[in-house]
Amino acid sequence: MSEYLQTVFEKFELRVRKGYYYTEDGLWASVEGAKVRVGVTDYLQRTGGDVAFVELVKPVSTVQKQTGIGTLETAKTTVSLLSPISGTVEEVNGMLLEKPELVNSDPYGEGWLIILTPHSLEDDLKSLMSADDYFQLMLKKLEAEHKKPESK
Amino acid sequence: MNSTTQNKVVVIPCSGIGKALGTVGREATYEVVENMRKDVTQTICLALLVSGDEESVQLVQRNKCITVDGCPLQCAEKNVRIAGGDLAASLRVVDALRENRGLKPKSVAFLDSDGQQLTRAVAEKIASKVDAILGA
Amino acid sequence: MVDLPQKMVGIISCSGEGCVEGTISRIATLLVLEKLRPAQTVTICLPLFLAGGKEERAFARFFPTITVDGCEKLCAKIGTERYSGKPASSIVVTDVNGNKNCSTTGSKRKLDDQAIGLAEKVAERIAQEVDEVLNHWK
Repeated sequence: MSEYLQTVFEKFELRVRKGYYYTEDGLWASVEGAKVRVGVTDYLQRTGGDVAFVELVKPVSTVQKQTGIGTLETAKTTVSLLSPISGTVEEVNGMLLEKPELVNSDPYGEGWLIILTPHSLEDDLKSLMSADDYFQLMLKKLEAEHKKPESK
Repeated sequence: MNSTTQNKVVVIPCSGIGKALGTVGREATYEVVENMRKDVTQTICLALLVSGDEESVQLVQRNKCITVDGCPLQCAEKNVRIAGGDLAASLRVVDALRENRGLKPKSVAFLDSDGQQLTRAVAEKIASKVDAILGA
Repeated sequence: MVDLPQKMVGIISCSGEGCVEGTISRIATLLVLEKLRPAQTVTICLPLFLAGGKEERAFARFFPTITVDGCEKLCAKIGTERYSGKPASSIVVTDVNGNKNCSTTGSKRKLDDQAIGLAEKVAERIAQEVDEVLNHWK
């Protein structure tokens, strides 16, 4: 059984990792024991373009849910990253300084962004989407894109 | 393709058509081989090389090569290596983007002003590599 | 796996640096992708396709393709036939130009008015072929 929900749009395979939690903006949160790992979805990296820079908050910072944890700068645009949960930043993915392309090539794996110690995990998770719900949202966005000729 | 010429550095762009940076790499290559270092450089079609064209393969094996890739997939670099090319340098347009922060080339077909600026920056890098290879 | 219902055509262009027709091929393809038939077409990056790009090859296996070549070396057509099957249609720029090479300004990338005109003509031809392919695919 696949770890992912997936679809093909145009020539691109787009995946949503099962068991993770999602924001509508396209960030995911994965609970790993007492900590939470955060990254961006396949859909976000695909629509954002090739990542040239990743800027992230520093360890020990405190972040609130839906506040900024950094930016992705791509060849096309700059994407603001908003935290899915509140917590203290324990670790930042240092590999992204030299290899920002990991966000594109492995968004659910080596392209992770930060690890947090959550402050109110149960409450925060309630407001996030399940993989199935985010997948449906992604399909709607793709369908809307496909119908808009100017969107290319 | 130019006829086989010894001692001319071969500059090979990926010319990726899906992204603006592919066009930037292509334009920068032309800027170098048609203008900035026109007497000492040449270019070839990457697709022709990948499809095994004998003349192209011999050209990259007999001359120093510089590849110019528009995205991290690095098709030009990988395929010149596979063809046994004498790869002297490989450039990524995204690295030039990192050095010229704020530029956001949007169009793929005809470069906008950000694309043209980035093209000039990449062309300078290619020309520097050519000079280093030729010991200029 | 869920697939969105889509009827799309993959356009595979050579982008040959060796002749101005390569540039024309590229520009014509992009005109179709961005302006003439944006909702019905996707681009297949030829070097990535030839080198084994997973997404490019998968698309070309399941969806119809149109190849656009600048010269008689037919890199796009031959590559597509080799790795995914016969394209639904193949266009060669010199054929559209009445079996003539395009005159140039001396640069293979700075298209003069005549070359731009030819690029637009090739783009219209590609668009017609896209319509033809999609009409048969019902």
